[in-house]
Amino acid sequence: MIRRAVVLGAALVALAFLALPIVAIFARSSFGHLSGGVVTDALVVSLKTTLVAQTLVLLFGTPTAWVLATHRFRGRSLVVTLVELPIVLPPAVAGVGLLAAFGRMGLLHTGLPFTQTAVVVAVAFVSGPLYVRQAIAAFEAVDETLVAASRTLGAGPAKTFFRVVLPLARGGLGAAEALAFARGLGEFGATIMFAGSLQGVTQTLPLAVYQEFDVNFTLAVTLGGLLVLVSAALLLTLKWLASSSTSPFRFALSSSS
Amino acid sequence: MNPVLTVLAAASLTNVFPAIAPKNHYSFGGSNMLAAQIEQGAPVDLFASANTKLPQQLHSEGLVEKPVVFTRNELILIVPKSNPAGIHSVYDLRRSGVKLVVGTTGVPVGDYTRVVLHNLGLDGVLSNVVSRETDVREVLAKVALGEADAGFVYTTDARTVRGKVATIGIRRSAQPIVQYAVAVVKSSHHLAAARAFVKLLLAKPSQVKLRAAGFLARR
Repeated sequence: MIRRAVVLGAALVALAFLALPIVAIFARSSFGHLSGGVVTDALVVSLKTTLVAQTLVLLFGTPTAWVLATHRFRGRSLVVTLVELPIVLPPAVAGVGLLAAFGRMGLLHTGLPFTQTAVVVAVAFVSGPLYVRQAIAAFEAVDETLVAASRTLGAGPAKTFFRVVLPLARGGLGAAEALAFARGLGEFGATIMFAGSLQGVTQTLPLAVYQEFDVNFTLAVTLGGLLVLVSAALLLTLKWLASSSTSPFRFALSSSS
Repeated sequence: MNPVLTVLAAASLTNVFPAIAPKNHYSFGGSNMLAAQIEQGAPVDLFASANTKLPQQLHSEGLVEKPVVFTRNELILIVPKSNPAGIHSVYDLRRSGVKLVVGTTGVPVGDYTRVVLHNLGLDGVLSNVVSRETDVREVLAKVALGEADAGFVYTTDARTVRGKVATIGIRRSAQPIVQYAVAVVKSSHHLAAARAFVKLLLAKPSQVKLRAAGFLARR
């Protein structure tokens, strides 16, 4: 009985610890503050760059995940590790890496820094791996006998992929993308180092929170509240996708139900 | 046994403060960011700002003791050594497509930069700004890396990356008054030692080190 109380107490402390900053953000938010140009501009920049980045993540990440899920080759685990690396990399390291690679003085001598494209690149670099990693799991969970059946019934590889594999993996892929989307929306370190910060061009919502922290704390907190709401909506979407998946399999995520 | 002091100091003091008092713990950053930290109750002993406005403001809020000016500085335009945009005078900043990096408003170097541009009748070049940075060292890094074409920093910052940047002076009549003020944080547990640090900053050996780093006499 006492042991149970201890366990419950520990859980309560942990939950309160996690909830308090969120509660505090809303307690100090003033959504009347959200009408300024800084907010609108940051929102537009965030939405635009996130949408472009996530489209690229889906277009390039899905085939990558498919190849890695269905092919066994020498050095595969090395490739998978490479894909996973940006997930655990400190964002500041991603920032200097992107500068060293794509900066004007970098390996490829591009003029990317300070452009909105640079924000897209930074977001894709840090969020793409999250998608690919989960997508590999989603593809690996597709029942091979169904794929084989489709092939023996005369469907080509492309038709099998689009008519059998993709519908079966849809829930897992959606959940993977929701995670990548949320991570991309919150991107900060790599963006500020690689793309800089300019209102209306490269200043995303997290960058605006940082800039306003010392100028207008209420606005910073309110922007934070906005990001909390969007992130919460994304998480709920993710859970819904995971539980309404057409696949009989549950992927890496634990459902809330 | 002297206590180890925790000092929040303007980013432009990054190289010189540890040379003056190596044993202290320093946190360098944009002065406005540091002032916000003190307002949020940061447990520190001293605040050294790249202007007098912020410590004065904290003083009127009752958070720090009376600020003392301990040195001055000047602004300078820097370009990467390779000078990709071919900038040889501040007036070249007017050309479209120049990638100019400045401090954001609120951070001292950002406010000074706007004063300089206004004094030169160059308010329009703000449309060439590609990034607003949160402290002067970020401006310095983006130019020294060669990513930006030009940026406004303190003359003392330019000296720390010699060989990587070229400098373009700004005429004295267009210079803002850049005074650095230091103040003891009232909640400090080492008030005596903190006040002694202020004295140390004003003493000859420290002033010599500041001058050697390119800072100006406090006057």
